[in-house]
Amino acid sequence: MAVSPAPVLRVERLSYTYAGGAEALRDITFSVAPGERVALLGPNGAGKSTLLWCLVGVLRGSGTVAVNGAVLAPGSEAEVRRRLGLGFAEPEDQLFMPTVERDIAFGPRAAGAPPEEAARRAAEAARTVGLAGPLLSRAPHELSSGERRRAALAAILALDPDVLALDEPTNSLDAPGRAALAETLSRLPCAQLLATHDLEFVGRLCARALVLVGGRLVADEPLASLLGDEARLVAYGLAAPREG
Amino acid sequence: MVDERASDDPLARARELSLAGLLGALGLLLPIGFHALGWGGRIFLPMHLPILVAGFVVGPALAASLGLIVPLLSAALTGMPPLAPPIALLMSVELAAKAAVASLLYRRLGLSLWVALPAALLANWIVLALAAVAAAGFFAIRTPPLRYLAAVMALTWPGVLLQVVAAPAAVAVIERRVPRLAARGRRGGP
Amino acid sequence: MRGPELYVRRDSPLHRLDARAKLIALAGVVGGAALCPVRPPWPALALGGLLAAGFALGRVLAATVARRLLPLALVIGGPLALSRLGGEATRLAGETFALKSGLIAAAFLLLTATTRAEDLLDAAAGVPLLAGPAGLAGFILRGVHLLGGEVVRANRAWRLRAPRAGARVRLGALCAASVSLLGRAAARSERVGAAMALRGFQGRLPPPPGRPLARRELGIGLLVVFASLAVAGVGRWL
Repeated sequence: MAVSPAPVLRVERLSYTYAGGAEALRDITFSVAPGERVALLGPNGAGKSTLLWCLVGVLRGSGTVAVNGAVLAPGSEAEVRRRLGLGFAEPEDQLFMPTVERDIAFGPRAAGAPPEEAARRAAEAARTVGLAGPLLSRAPHELSSGERRRAALAAILALDPDVLALDEPTNSLDAPGRAALAETLSRLPCAQLLATHDLEFVGRLCARALVLVGGRLVADEPLASLLGDEARLVAYGLAAPREG
Repeated sequence: MVDERASDDPLARARELSLAGLLGALGLLLPIGFHALGWGGRIFLPMHLPILVAGFVVGPALAASLGLIVPLLSAALTGMPPLAPPIALLMSVELAAKAAVASLLYRRLGLSLWVALPAALLANWIVLALAAVAAAGFFAIRTPPLRYLAAVMALTWPGVLLQVVAAPAAVAVIERRVPRLAARGRRGGP
Repeated sequence: MRGPELYVRRDSPLHRLDARAKLIALAGVVGGAALCPVRPPWPALALGGLLAAGFALGRVLAATVARRLLPLALVIGGPLALSRLGGEATRLAGETFALKSGLIAAAFLLLTATTRAEDLLDAAAGVPLLAGPAGLAGFILRGVHLLGGEVVRANRAWRLRAPRAGARVRLGALCAASVSLLGRAAARSERVGAAMALRGFQGRLPPPPGRPLARRELGIGLLVVFASLAVAGVGRWL
């Protein structure tokens, strides 16, 4: 009998309440297997971004978050953050160094890698996401929005995370950009958690879907069965009702 | 989307650095804007406002560094304030003193902004007078510090008024958008 | 958003010279200007000639130099003119002030016209005491680009909505936009800070990748130092 591999991301009873008292997440429990790609779906305000911020400890929720065995707790945030790379909805917020190359190399350098090793990892990450060489010496603000998104992704991949969590990865990407991103993500060996409204995008990549509505996990099932059930898509706020 | 209860040191330091960077950027941009509009950069002291605000929202060391760096960076990028005569250097020390005192009193000791603000302005003037005397000595010019200070205050009172009016409002806006800044003094914070 | 930057985009021997060598040379020229006597005038003329040669080597046009130094005319010329009304000591002080200020201003202009701000910051980051401030300055520059874009967009938005707005409406829009910009900048800074921490920031920015300063370039910097100090020293003490 085959033994399921230990999950690379384990979330148990995660809850989070904003300072003003509004409940953002309640009792979220799920896990992600190594190499698995999972879509995190939900309407605006469902708590997808809040969940991602909780996974990396920027927001402190109650419950358990463990990434490849490292449990999120005071003092262990750095290790969890190295293993779970988070891509923001606005890639501009993640590019803060004078050049793209130095931005991508920032993570390895901060982890103590010597400059040559950091440069090698940065170059490899840039190749992975299809960032051309001349772009690496440019300042981030000189890049197009698609290039910035790729640079931000490369900056995360340079740390070789076990889990890649992306918040609205197709924001401001045109159709060729979305196709290129899907192709890049499909080649990555790490587990992925993709928070998005773009059902077509995740339909190409993910086999499984988690659905958040009002801060609660209302579905954890194969994505194909969800996409085939229009009534539920409308009920969950993932699709607009047909007119007439 | 931040949690003021998260007390991770590297996270707090990174956020502080980032906020200081943006306020420093305002310190570069505001003078350009004022000069472009012809609104009397030398009178309204546009560079002083963001640095003073920074003094109320970041820690003393970072605030002082910002005060030191911004005039020099502006001088290197735009030529204003000039490095020679050493106006940029004078501005560096006065802004560093102003921001550091504001931060020490408001953030570290948790005093009221209406105590920290006048104290910061006073520190600005004292340090400016002393620095001006030292700089004048470099050029073998004897300058009575009080007379110099009186001349500066007479010229720049609109800028001081702008700081008194706008800085508290700016601090309120920032504290509303960044809830973690509410913790200061004995309650913690940067 | 483009401000009135001093950097003049060119390909010249001076532009290609390492920023660290230029900083060393600048230190020498500033030292020479500090030592330089007003009388006799030849040391000052020699230093001025050195700077003029630098501008020529950097292919910075005389018109550009004049335009950039013009704003200092009042700041330097004013005290000089006033000093003429005083006694001998006052006139000498005024001339000293004008001479030293002019030379040092020209030296800084030469450096900033031929060196990008980012390269200057990287050079400063190589000095242990200056690494922290240089890193902060880099953040400030990045912030200029972030905020500059927002300012341009806000300006465009209200011009489209109120192209013929009167002064009161403009002032109100400026205040509202400033408040909004400040709040958005603060919120954005939190996300950038989180991004840094998520990528392993522990309190210190990694130093810039550096190559050792080539001997030839170091030699050029030191030669300028020697020449400047020698000219000023000889003029002062002989």
